[in-house]
Amino acid sequence: MSLDGFIADRRARWAELDGIVSRARRGNLRAASAAELERFGVLFRHASSDLAIARRDHPQAAVTEYLNELCSRAHVLLYRGAPFRLAQLPGDFALGIPRAWRAAWPYMVTSAACVALGFVAGWLAVYLRPDLRAAIVPSSLFDQMARGRVSGGIDHAPAVAFYIIQNNIRVALICFAGGVLLGLPTVLALASNGWMLGAIAAAVNIGGYNVQFWSLIVPHGVIELSIIVIAGGTGLMLGDAILRPGQLRRGDALSAAARRAAWLACDAALLLVVAGSLEAFVSPSGLPAAAKLGIGVATGVALYSWLGFAGRRESRATARLRLDAPAIVAAA
Amino acid sequence: MNDARPDTLAVRTADNVVLGYSVAGVGSRLAAQLVDGAVLSGILIVAYAVVTSAVGSVGGRNGALVAALIVSGVLFFVVFAYFFVFELATGGRTPGKNALGIRVMMLDGSSPDRAAILVRNVVRIVDTVMGGVGLFVMFFHPLARRLGDIAAGTVVVRDRQRTTLAAATAPVPLILKTPDAGPPIDGIEMLGSLEHDALRTFLVRPGLTPELRMRLATDIANRLYTRLELAPAAPERMWPPELFIERLYLQLEQRHR
Repeated sequence: MSLDGFIADRRARWAELDGIVSRARRGNLRAASAAELERFGVLFRHASSDLAIARRDHPQAAVTEYLNELCSRAHVLLYRGAPFRLAQLPGDFALGIPRAWRAAWPYMVTSAACVALGFVAGWLAVYLRPDLRAAIVPSSLFDQMARGRVSGGIDHAPAVAFYIIQNNIRVALICFAGGVLLGLPTVLALASNGWMLGAIAAAVNIGGYNVQFWSLIVPHGVIELSIIVIAGGTGLMLGDAILRPGQLRRGDALSAAARRAAWLACDAALLLVVAGSLEAFVSPSGLPAAAKLGIGVATGVALYSWLGFAGRRESRATARLRLDAPAIVAAA
Repeated sequence: MNDARPDTLAVRTADNVVLGYSVAGVGSRLAAQLVDGAVLSGILIVAYAVVTSAVGSVGGRNGALVAALIVSGVLFFVVFAYFFVFELATGGRTPGKNALGIRVMMLDGSSPDRAAILVRNVVRIVDTVMGGVGLFVMFFHPLARRLGDIAAGTVVVRDRQRTTLAAATAPVPLILKTPDAGPPIDGIEMLGSLEHDALRTFLVRPGLTPELRMRLATDIANRLYTRLELAPAAPERMWPPELFIERLYLQLEQRHR
């Protein structure tokens, strides 16, 4: 068929599809009417088969270039992932995090081990090398202990809470994102967090201010450290996907792991709002040490019973789907 | 379309048709980033002014410090939310990308979903450290992807419409001198739409000087004699090359009509 005949036969359909695609706003067809949507499917299939014909018979023609453009503009309107619904978020958060966390347990254990390793190293460094103490531990801590108290020294709690929260969330997200560099930044961040805590804890232990110090750390620290461990675990998932991609290409393995881990990392990072608020308001407050430690332990029990047990039973909708499946097969 | 060119991406659709996408290069992506940066700076300056005046009216000798703490506290979220929300709400077009005519796309040609947008914008943290690890990776990646794109399975492609239906299908006037198609040419059944299109490309070409047109016509005609397997003494070889091409084209046009 000649190019002119090819165009004359099909031009009207292309114009109609072009009209529907041009009226799409913000990358979706939500503004289109039902009739238009129905036509869209038919017209798109026609246009893509026209493109295949044009590629074969008229590879250099301007109309082939046009059809390629028309089809790619239509393709992205038709093929897309599940839409984003705000109403899903609470359910995804409450049940999705615990399920993802349990599924990723080897990474969570490894991540915790990195922190623990850093902690032990920091503790030993302070004990075994007294000459390096001044370099390892902030000198203000020794000043404070010399004056007889250990404190955070925080005024303007709300503003500080803001700052602490954003800083912690950033650290958590760096732990996740560092996974794309084989997880090396992740391991470094985890170990150095453990190292700092271990070194300071050892210095405080030597000074004999254990109760004061831990009552300052524990109320927010239980959640904070847990979230950092979770975020670190997601980063390790990415690094592992690159190092051991299995049957996939490395890039594909990485993106599959990243898509699984991203919500766990980001939703968990939201919990740092709770930790940051405790850090700004409860930890430096005048509450008795026992109450502060109690709060910390309570947050830990709440966090880990949620992570360990929430969403273990399958949701009612999934269960019904499974029950209905044999009936559907039988009916067919 | 040439699949082998490194800055194009070929996607095979569910209908088994190949779509060609032109990949956005480092330059346009940096420019888009600059535009987004300018918009973000505007937002942050306004935010700082609002917070400073709000804190200042409450008073306190550390008002400026508190304001700075609050603004630096929201800064990270504003930057993240800007990219995340815009890409989510517009199918991968931030204002900067829109201005440069580029958009984010999944590698399979579909619209980016929320997981992909989340991943590519969280990994932005790593892409922007040390003066731009992402820039370095983009520079050497055949599809100009940064680490965030690789982790999310996305690619940034050109989005601007370059041809319109009217322009692509407008009939182009042929430059013909012969009044008719002439006597039938032997072996014409061996030619198809590819040769037809090639001759048409030659015949619609404006602005050729007579000598150049003659030279091109001779070259094309010589190749066509071989394709048509014309005998050395065939009468078609005696025609002027331009006349031969024009007659061949008109006869092909009749056969394919």
